[in-house]
Amino acid sequence: MTAKTLILLEHDRRQVKRPSLHAIDAARQLGGDFALLLLGEGLEEMAKSVATCGASAVLMADDAALAEPLADRYATVIADAFRKIEATTLLGTSSTFSKDVLPRAAALLDAPMLTDVLAIEEQNGAIAYRRPINAGSMLATVQLAGQRRVLSVRASAFEAPSADAPACPIESLPIDATSLPNGMQLVSREERISDRPDLIEARVVIGGGRPLKDKETFDRLVGGLADVLGAAIGATRAAVDTGLAPNDYQIGQTGKVIAPELYIALGISGAIQHLAGIKDSRVIVAINKDPDAPIFQMATYGLVGDLHQIVPQLIEALGRE
Amino acid sequence: MDFAWSDQQRELLDAVSRFAREQLDYEVIENDRQAIFNHEAWKKCGEFGIQGLLVPAEYGGLGQDPLTTVAVLERLGYACKDNGLLFSINAHMWTAVTPLVYNGTEAQKKKFLPGLCNGDLIGGNAMSEPNSGSDAFSLGTTATKQGDKYVLNGSKIFVTNGPVADVLVVFANVDKARGQDGITAFLVEKGMAGFDPSHKIEKMGVRTSPMAEVFFENCEVPAENLLGKEGGGAFLFTRSMTWERGCILASAVGAMQRLLEKCIRYANERKQGGQSIGKYQLVASKIVDMKLRVESARHMLYHYGWVAGHRKAVYLEAAMTKLHLADAWMKCAEDAIQIHGGYGYMTEYEVERELRDAIGAKLYSGTSEIQRNIIASLIGL
Amino acid sequence: MTQPVTKILVPFKSVPDPYEAAGPDGSGSGAKSVINPFDEIAIEEALRIRERGEASEIVGLTIGAPAVDEQIRAALAMGVDRAIRIDDARALDPYAVARILRAAVEKESPQFVIIGKQAVDDDSNQVGQMLAGLLGWPQATFVSKLEFLDNRTRARCARETDAGLEVIEINLPAVITSDLRLNEPRYVSLPALMKARKKPIEVLTCEQLGVKVDPLTTTIATARPAKRAAGTRVESVEELVIKLKQEAKVV
Repeated sequence: MTAKTLILLEHDRRQVKRPSLHAIDAARQLGGDFALLLLGEGLEEMAKSVATCGASAVLMADDAALAEPLADRYATVIADAFRKIEATTLLGTSSTFSKDVLPRAAALLDAPMLTDVLAIEEQNGAIAYRRPINAGSMLATVQLAGQRRVLSVRASAFEAPSADAPACPIESLPIDATSLPNGMQLVSREERISDRPDLIEARVVIGGGRPLKDKETFDRLVGGLADVLGAAIGATRAAVDTGLAPNDYQIGQTGKVIAPELYIALGISGAIQHLAGIKDSRVIVAINKDPDAPIFQMATYGLVGDLHQIVPQLIEALGRE
Repeated sequence: MDFAWSDQQRELLDAVSRFAREQLDYEVIENDRQAIFNHEAWKKCGEFGIQGLLVPAEYGGLGQDPLTTVAVLERLGYACKDNGLLFSINAHMWTAVTPLVYNGTEAQKKKFLPGLCNGDLIGGNAMSEPNSGSDAFSLGTTATKQGDKYVLNGSKIFVTNGPVADVLVVFANVDKARGQDGITAFLVEKGMAGFDPSHKIEKMGVRTSPMAEVFFENCEVPAENLLGKEGGGAFLFTRSMTWERGCILASAVGAMQRLLEKCIRYANERKQGGQSIGKYQLVASKIVDMKLRVESARHMLYHYGWVAGHRKAVYLEAAMTKLHLADAWMKCAEDAIQIHGGYGYMTEYEVERELRDAIGAKLYSGTSEIQRNIIASLIGL
Repeated sequence: MTQPVTKILVPFKSVPDPYEAAGPDGSGSGAKSVINPFDEIAIEEALRIRERGEASEIVGLTIGAPAVDEQIRAALAMGVDRAIRIDDARALDPYAVARILRAAVEKESPQFVIIGKQAVDDDSNQVGQMLAGLLGWPQATFVSKLEFLDNRTRARCARETDAGLEVIEINLPAVITSDLRLNEPRYVSLPALMKARKKPIEVLTCEQLGVKVDPLTTTIATARPAKRAAGTRVESVEELVIKLKQEAKVV
């Protein structure tokens, strides 16, 4: 089969990550048919779960050699699949996974790439893409030349697809494991099981900054507030640097970019790099003892005071139902 | 007249701003409360190259000109809230390093300058005494020659860096009968018998800069520690004091800029009666005057820096710079408290400390009254 | 049989100072340029590798007009042994940069390339990965810890991913992209800055390097994003909870 756009989906070996499906909306805006691509091992169930999203086909690169997302192998397989279906656009949603493999695939395909596309529009009769630069303090509208292109799009800027199309064919790509690059190996991976919602998908997020002093206080105050609101937990770079939270909690220019309904910032001053990660939140609450803190300029509601006093009161008031 | 920095100066100043912002922007409230000297920050400044800015490269310095030097100090003052640290660095540079550069023997320069430049050694001077402050040259400490050494007796007060100094330039009189012409400078090193720098003095401001009353009781100083020549002390002191007057408040210009920005931010953020307090003319007017003061202080400082690099006698410019910058800093700090209202009175907001630090500027390196006398005598009165 | 690491190539980019760029409206004046902070971390890592005795030469490289010599001197002042400027003042995109870097790698034959994961002006996070793809070398991205194994023929890297820390091992030669927590760069001292003025900067054109590329990306407009509506101060927890429930209807 052939398709204009190839979409790289992301999964956690159990399920497809739903935000990665938002790339389908981007493919629709670009026009033309699209195929979905999954790489890994034991992909049947996952492939079936996305077969009704309106794609022309779901391609599975299913092999033991692809059990781990090693960029050298993955980029090669992605480039091969792209060429096979004679696609012209390679799409994925922004994540550390796609940022690792898509640029490498772009180079193998002799194509330019745009990271973190927020919108697709038309300018001067050609497609233009809007993306953030300078830690999101500016938006650039860019156009690409050439036959092929690679795009990573920000999931929260695109819609979830409906899953009511007739099931499309699921195709297994032939993988010759012996011809794949072999210069990289996985040693270990952190796998923290949490019953909190995923930071990128959560409706409510509580963020903690360095003034929370130590991990115990961070867990008690940020975690306590997150528990009463069913929220996910994030942190500033400074908080992660000082060991209050693990790196995957980091929100900001070089961490995760979130857009929840409600973001509550505890002891966060509001450095530009952090604001880049939260500016699309619908409601922002800031609690900080420094009335000069830049975050108050962005907050919907600002409360100046000592978070060590305020947060327990807030937990109590919100828990009172 | 070209007011632009050269590419080389700009690179240097940018490196200083960055260094100060990343390494010297530490918490000061507690250090100020307990009068703690930040020796680690001192060493970082030394490694970075501050203390040796004006010292020739062959002795471990950077051989910079005075204008670049005061601009560097201004940048430090902007990013570093620890006015006491900068005060100690200044005392070290003008009262110990500079006299050694001008009057040190080759052996003295080789022995002391590298360490004084790279942060390993701390220097200062001991001039004022309980009974001789503004009337500096009527000092009573004596130095009696005995064979190949001098024996010092007396006491000095207001010795900045005294408690931590490795070497002090001490002024004593070798022959009271000659009056001012007997004043001589000596290099007294930590650990010398009969030298007691342990009596700490607690101050109102620049509290993180250590200060002591020091005592000399039959303190034996080897002849090779004579700095300059017998009877040359008054001139040596006047020269180092002129450097001090011109340069010691360079970092205050940076501090004033920081205060100005703090006041503007606060005036915009703080709302009373339904609007930012900066919209009220009485508040805006104070901030406008602050801006004028900062600009005029900066221009006077840079002019002094330029002149000091082009002319030998800069007594007038140095005295004017000292007088004007001290007044400006004090007024900026006072107005900053007023603008911040009750918060300005709180330790936590770090505005009251600026005033406590600034008041000293009208007292050290010659009181403002002394500066006025100097200027009067130099403009023909 | 790969050689033990002796030469490290560290490409870096001159960017507007992100500290100064904020400005009252966040639009960035770009008045002052610095080495891209992530590239500075890469340079620092290369210097530490050399200080451990695991490399003998650090070569810095940047692409730009003569104005970027100031950043090159900063890199030399940090301790980079020599530096190359590719004289090209055009606005290049990551793929063009990667292709130029490939030519530089072929010229210099380093055992190892380390580069910042992204430039803080463009935020693309592509060049390292593209370069690795063009060279056919293993890559380790968003690295927060790096050590060599097996007589410096392999590297073990901890990577910061969305799920947490991941550790991989890769064969050398390879491309590593540095993340924030890999190290804290040393500050440049004034004596080092002055000594760096004496170190040579080799200037090459793309032609001399044997590469001809054109960027495929054109920026047609930049604009500030829509400002959020101004918020309000609340005076108490009670007031905050009421507003969240009744006004924002978000809890």
